[in-house]
Amino acid sequence: MSYKIPMGPYHPALEEPYKLDLICEGETVKDAKLHIGFNFRGIEHLAETRNYIQVIALMERVCGICSNIHTLTLCQAMEGLTGLTPPPRAKYIRTIMAELERLHSHVLWAGIAAKLMGFKTMFMTCFELREQVMDVLQAISGNRVNYSMNRIGGVNRDIEDPAAILKMVEVLEAEMARTVIPIFTTSSTAKSRCAGVGVLTTEKARSCGVVGPVARASGLGQDLRRAAPYAAYEEMDFDVPVQPAGDVTARLLVRALEIMESCKIIRQALEKLPPGEINTGDDKFKFITGTCTSRVEAPRGEVMYSVSWREGSRNPARVHVRTPTYAIMPAIRYMVMGARLADTPLIQASIDPCYSCTDR
Amino acid sequence: MSTLEVIPEMLGINEPWTESGGVRWLSSGALSVRSIAQTMNAVRARFITITAYQLPKDEGLKLEYHWDLMGELMGFTFQLQGKSIDSIYDLCEAADWIEREIHEEYEVDFVGREYEPLLLREGDTLGVNLREIGAPTKPVSGLTGQEEVKK
Repeated sequence: MSYKIPMGPYHPALEEPYKLDLICEGETVKDAKLHIGFNFRGIEHLAETRNYIQVIALMERVCGICSNIHTLTLCQAMEGLTGLTPPPRAKYIRTIMAELERLHSHVLWAGIAAKLMGFKTMFMTCFELREQVMDVLQAISGNRVNYSMNRIGGVNRDIEDPAAILKMVEVLEAEMARTVIPIFTTSSTAKSRCAGVGVLTTEKARSCGVVGPVARASGLGQDLRRAAPYAAYEEMDFDVPVQPAGDVTARLLVRALEIMESCKIIRQALEKLPPGEINTGDDKFKFITGTCTSRVEAPRGEVMYSVSWREGSRNPARVHVRTPTYAIMPAIRYMVMGARLADTPLIQASIDPCYSCTDR
Repeated sequence: MSTLEVIPEMLGINEPWTESGGVRWLSSGALSVRSIAQTMNAVRARFITITAYQLPKDEGLKLEYHWDLMGELMGFTFQLQGKSIDSIYDLCEAADWIEREIHEEYEVDFVGREYEPLLLREGDTLGVNLREIGAPTKPVSGLTGQEEVKK
């Protein structure tokens, strides 16, 4: 006999507004239905009532973790509509900020995954590491969540103390190599909780259109930083970690290796950081009539903005945002099918879901 | 020939891709969205999203479909006659949520699929135009937010 277990929208194992109805037989999940929209904010519609300065501040609030990525993608699209090109130094600063954001996002996720596995000490280690990244982000931007770094034609603030960033990168790299990666890959607890759990096959990942680390952990080697470079990524040398297994271990590994690659990119960007202006200096902008689309590889995967404007208007005519979790979340259904009920919180967490992005 | 160059031929289109606003566009002309989705499946392109536009006055609705092929962003535009278009959900699973969302926000009917339970407004009425219902209204003072700030 099958029975339904509702998980969410407010649940101790799922501390955000999203609901999963699990259809179980005994302890085995047979099927699942997902429900979103509990906090849908209508931000796309609201954007049409904001001018070109206000809309940047608004879209920064789509996500509480990768706020910088949203303004970067939006500004790139608006630059396409104003014909402005950011100076080289601005492109490098954008790259550094994007990778710092990836670092704090991935380390945060590693901590949460550790907590769900039962590794409370590892949770504290990860959050201590993340705090160092947050300190650097605060030192650069003055803010810890919404950095207000991007503007049309460049960035708002320069990087004045590259040495502090390098120091943090070294500490993070060493701790990842010494503690986090070995424990996640070799401890028997991590293996038993993650290996072979929540599998998303390559074919299913493709048909669901999943993106980012979840896609790369299912054998799909897509990464916009490599496939369609933006900011200064074309000048960076880095690898795109891909794992074929599609289970929670593969997602753990991909993100852990991406942390190391992000450190590599930040180091290169700081070494090559060109001198010069950090923005074009414009504060009034003339938009052409049309639509411009921009894509960026956020910590959770591809973010896409389609921005439409009518010449002479101060407000966008339309802003459409496709966030990564929106593309990945439907695949949870296939990850939990056949899994043990007790594994479902970890399986859901393994996609690093962002409910804020989904209910944009 | 690259896969991208082969796509117009596969769809029976004589025109080449045109690039605009960061997207490679192909005139969808008389093509159905389902034949495009089948072609995208054949070349293993990744579905990204559908962007809906409510055009000014009585010009109706426009839908832009986006796929990715090895980092190339492709786009196909459909101007809707009325408020319906074929669903591609059965061909392209990734289109499920965005079709449901557009149905709920713009009242577009994606023919050949069901919507319940609703994605964003479970238990509410099917297909309403939220943009019209939720259009911003002026505050009691009669001034817009910007005018109030200036004042």
